[in-house]
Amino acid sequence: MLEASHLTYTHPGATRRFDLSFSARPGEVTAISGQSGAGKSTLLDLVAGFLEPSAGTLTLDGIDLLRLQPEERPVSILFQSETLFDHLSAGHNLELGLPRGKPRDEKHQLISAALTEVGLPDVLGQRADTLSGGERQRVALARTLLRDRPVLLLDEPFSALDDETRTTIRSLVKALTARHGWITLLVSHHVDDVEALAARRYQLRDGMLFET
Amino acid sequence: MLLSPPFNSRTLPNRPLRLFAGAAIATAIATLVVAVLYAIFTTAAGAAAQSSRVDVLHLVGMTSIQAGLTTVLSLLVGTAIAWALNRLRFPGRDLIVGLFASAIVTPGLIVAFGLLAVWGRSGWINQTALALTGHSFEVPIFGLGGILAAHVILDGAFAARILLARLDAIPERRLKTGQSLALSPWTRFRVIDWPMLASSLPGLAAIIFLLAFTSFPIVLLLGGGPANQTLEVAIYAAVRLDFDLQGAVTLALVQIGICSSIILAAAAFAPVSASTGASAPPRWRDHGLTRALQWAVLAFGIVGFAMPLVAILIDGIGPGIADVMSRASFWRALGTSLAIGTGSALLTLTLALGVGLGRAATRAPLLRISIGAPAYAYLAVPAVVLSLGAFLLVRNAGLLPETAAPVVVLCANALLSLPFALATLAPPLDAIAEKRGRLIRSLGLTGWQQFRAVEWPLIGRDIGVVLALSFCFSLGDLGVIALFGTEDFATLPLLMYRALGAYRSNDAAAIAALMLVLTITAFVLLPKLVGKLTDA
Repeated sequence: MLEASHLTYTHPGATRRFDLSFSARPGEVTAISGQSGAGKSTLLDLVAGFLEPSAGTLTLDGIDLLRLQPEERPVSILFQSETLFDHLSAGHNLELGLPRGKPRDEKHQLISAALTEVGLPDVLGQRADTLSGGERQRVALARTLLRDRPVLLLDEPFSALDDETRTTIRSLVKALTARHGWITLLVSHHVDDVEALAARRYQLRDGMLFET
Repeated sequence: MLLSPPFNSRTLPNRPLRLFAGAAIATAIATLVVAVLYAIFTTAAGAAAQSSRVDVLHLVGMTSIQAGLTTVLSLLVGTAIAWALNRLRFPGRDLIVGLFASAIVTPGLIVAFGLLAVWGRSGWINQTALALTGHSFEVPIFGLGGILAAHVILDGAFAARILLARLDAIPERRLKTGQSLALSPWTRFRVIDWPMLASSLPGLAAIIFLLAFTSFPIVLLLGGGPANQTLEVAIYAAVRLDFDLQGAVTLALVQIGICSSIILAAAAFAPVSASTGASAPPRWRDHGLTRALQWAVLAFGIVGFAMPLVAILIDGIGPGIADVMSRASFWRALGTSLAIGTGSALLTLTLALGVGLGRAATRAPLLRISIGAPAYAYLAVPAVVLSLGAFLLVRNAGLLPETAAPVVVLCANALLSLPFALATLAPPLDAIAEKRGRLIRSLGLTGWQQFRAVEWPLIGRDIGVVLALSFCFSLGDLGVIALFGTEDFATLPLLMYRALGAYRSNDAAAIAALMLVLTITAFVLLPKLVGKLTDA
């Protein structure tokens, strides 16, 4: 269980203070919705460690996450854009998600298996900037599989996708979350995304979260 | 409204080793600057009682007039050429743009010699006039006119390239609005083009003024006597010809003071961006007289810039070249030039990468300035002054200048290229840290993985540009080698200058042609080669 209690943060030079409390369970998607500028991405950055709260707690199964640097946190992130390194192939992007020191053959097998699981077995050598928006998000999801972290943060990941692709990727996220027991935290201002995915919902308003 | 969380220190990967390396390089560079200045100051203090014959006021006045006129003329020429190039599309346009871009690395010595080959007494124009009319057509190429012409050829082309990038970056929507309003060519320039150009002009003017103020080979070759001497040439003359060390030191201090003031003033202006916007196909064409004027301006620009270079190639690559190439001194100088060029290019790259990566690893403003600023200090210390400082340091250390010459020339050339190298590498490294830092950090990449998989491929072409710039700068340098060169230790520019001094103009032409071919080859090929090597 991922739990935040009175996670407090104020952006430098801003007056609005965030005071965030929530909990999210494994195997299901917890959605945070709110208007543009409400601070949804700020919440994810606090969980990922890119922002440092002034007070509060953040724990995963009782373990304090706040003392961990971003790269040490048990978290994978799917951004809206800049999810992949455009100049690298899909395979090379995935390789960056694997622990170092694995033998080449084993790496190749793991990468192929991950790509197959997200339904893209044939893009291994393709440069990321030649992939469609949906394919990019699938490759990023495949990398999430390889990283095998218990928490998945989704920062408006479907915003740039067409309706059909959006539906496909949403189903994939839901299935992977259930299959791998991830604690998936989704921020989105699209009602459709929240309706389709969320087992638990919060609304972010005036710097605070309200369960709906 | 805050749509995306801000870029902060926690979105930057934690890289203490990079910070340390950057700080160490910055400290070493700063120490060297201080040592050079200390050597100059102590020599000035020690020789205070001696009298010197240098006329500082006259030299400052002459240098300022020359640099001021160069700046105004170069900006006018550069604006006109950029305007014409922005409007016209034709096969080979990219080649012409590349030709103007190469001005930054074309050695001044070559352009000065090219001017002589075209406009000098034995030049093309005069020889043609004599053959056709029986009368000579001599242009006063030695003196202020010649200096200005050579500077405007180089700096005007440089300005054209920078300003063209600004014009090409005008948003298409703005052009569509202007076209729908049927703006006249003049109103279009005033309302749409000028605001884009104006922000770059002060910074560009400062750079051109600095380049002209510290120009050495052009004034040395075309100055025509003490009346047109500038500070740089006077320093060289004081050390090498008059053995007036006190005079040289006084002039060096004046030079450093003025250059520092120009740099500080330039820092207040918007930085000159050489970023090239995608050049959209021109849907909005001018017609009639305006179009004819654009073609005329472009033809004038191409002929003005290319003719001296073509003259060098035609005059140089002839029967005389075999004679030059049969001499051991030529091969020795070529070997020295290539070795120093390669060594200083690699050293420049190492230093610039160390400083650039260190700077990009932190958001603390003071730390970033501390790491980056020493590299830019060499803008205020021109080649001849740096060379003089190094000369004094070596002498004070009890070493013979000729013993230390190879190391000093290599290091001095690397340091002189460093500001340009850092200006090329720092922005993309900062952009990677800003744009990719979160992803890099969330994936937990190591510093080496970050460099190998992300930075190296993304800055490959910039690395090629840095290598090409510093190699070409070093290849064409006369300012540093002029003080340290000996009979046994000479580079191609020094060999060429000696050939000119001995009235062996055929030899000089052959060496100039070879230097030009080497420069253009390195400038064109190195970025492409390194870009391919680093391509993922």
